[in-house]
Amino acid sequence: MTAEGEFSSRQAFSEEEGLDLEEKCNEVLVRDIMITDPITIKGEDPIEKIFDLFNKEHFHTYPVVDENGDLLGIIDQNIILQLLFTRHVSRLDHTHLMAVRSLSQSARGIMKPHPITITSDTTLCEIAETMVKHKVEHFCVVDEKKLVGIVCKSDVIQAIYSLRS
Amino acid sequence: MEFLFQILVILLAARLLSEVSERVGMPGILGEILAGLLLGLLIVEETETIASVAELGAIFLLFTAGYKEVHIEDLKASSKKAIVATFFQIAAAFIAGFALGRFFGFDFVESLFLAVAFSPTSIGVVVKTLLDMGYLSSKPGSMMLTSAIFDDIIGIFLLSIVVTVGKYNAFPTATQFMLLLGKLVFFVGIMVILGYRVFPYIFNYVQKMHSKESIFAAVVLIALFSAYFAEIMELDAVIGAFIGGVMLSNVAVAKINDIQSKVSGLAYGILVPIFFAHIGMAVELEALNTLGSFTILVVVLALLGKLIGGFVGARAIGFDSYESFIFGSGVMPRAGVELVVISIGREMGIIGEEIFSAVVLMVVVSIIISPIILKFAIQKDKQKNTSVPAS
Repeated sequence: MTAEGEFSSRQAFSEEEGLDLEEKCNEVLVRDIMITDPITIKGEDPIEKIFDLFNKEHFHTYPVVDENGDLLGIIDQNIILQLLFTRHVSRLDHTHLMAVRSLSQSARGIMKPHPITITSDTTLCEIAETMVKHKVEHFCVVDEKKLVGIVCKSDVIQAIYSLRS
Repeated sequence: MEFLFQILVILLAARLLSEVSERVGMPGILGEILAGLLLGLLIVEETETIASVAELGAIFLLFTAGYKEVHIEDLKASSKKAIVATFFQIAAAFIAGFALGRFFGFDFVESLFLAVAFSPTSIGVVVKTLLDMGYLSSKPGSMMLTSAIFDDIIGIFLLSIVVTVGKYNAFPTATQFMLLLGKLVFFVGIMVILGYRVFPYIFNYVQKMHSKESIFAAVVLIALFSAYFAEIMELDAVIGAFIGGVMLSNVAVAKINDIQSKVSGLAYGILVPIFFAHIGMAVELEALNTLGSFTILVVVLALLGKLIGGFVGARAIGFDSYESFIFGSGVMPRAGVELVVISIGREMGIIGEEIFSAVVLMVVVSIIISPIILKFAIQKDKQKNTSVPAS
């Protein structure tokens, strides 16, 4: 009886907490939590420079931009590992696209050209929901084609955790 | 219950033999066709339901080809030289197929199906060889890749023509041809508008939906819609699926890694192996026996058509003989689109067992033999390169 009572009061508390959190996270915008000055790769950067970057830094994904700062695409660890390990990837991936990628000499040739983007006025709730539902790890934040930041799952976790406490 | 058992046996055999095939260094498709061949001989009867699942396999094979592999930007960037080399290798194979059909007394439409089945290339079969031999970045290696970008597009275009011709069961008159072209242009036009204006809007909404797997479901629905819309326009479902896939390839939300992996799982994990196994099941070994010389010539001419066409095309754009030999042998393998062509021809009742079975054999032989010839061609080129400084 006591245990049940404890359970229901704990549940009521977490429901209340959940509602409160939802309200709060709808007030937080991406621009408040994004990394505003992410490391970027230029469209014409050579492959070796990109390998070097992945070797030195340990982010999962880097945005690729042109000379005006417009977002062109992204390069992530999966692409780099596939390029370094081309010979051993599954034969299903031995397509001309993969082969063309492995011959490219610049960022433009190897990047994924249509990354998923959000604007800086998207709410924390919206991106958290998309990340959970569709297993998205990060978003490039783009306002009027210009890359203004990047937001990763860890940033979202930190933001929600700080709201919770 | 019967259906469940059949799907279970077909999928199990296809997956197991596909693994065996990969382990011995051959593409999985070889094992999948072989699985169908064995099952057809031993236990499983071809039924309507299996045929329908296999049709879905063909639709998803071409849908994923468009969705995952075609980048419109790649086509724009490809050089004019590649168009010349591609034209030669496709034209030579096409002519060889058509002439062979006519020589053996098949009618015009049957011969045309044979010609179209001779035409495309499946570059994936030789990519591993190019990688292993360190020739992927060579002149002929990169030309092969650029050529392959055009290959699917040309293959789909030829398929749409041959399907129409098949419907009229004769070469279309000028009016019919214009009507076909009009329908194709209308279809592509509508799909482009959907791709650039409607699909991004739909996916923007879909990603916010509360129901489970909404994006994945939307991608599958667009594949089915494109296939069905093409059928309404009297094109073939697979043509629609391919174009639908290309149109989705620019929609960011539809290409989230998780969604791509689910679509690929549905296609290559389940439907496509059933399609290839179904092709194997439909092969009539007696038909191969009765027409021995025809079967042999289908195999030989299909391979020679590409080899010679590729060689001439590569010479025309300034490659030396060794490089041209590499290019020619690299464009020899056939796999996916060719099998889709003959399965449509068979379904329409246009091509008989002889052509169907002979083309399946040709595909099998081309998959086995192309990497061997390509390896030989590369070795010859390497020998030439090492002997030049010595002399």
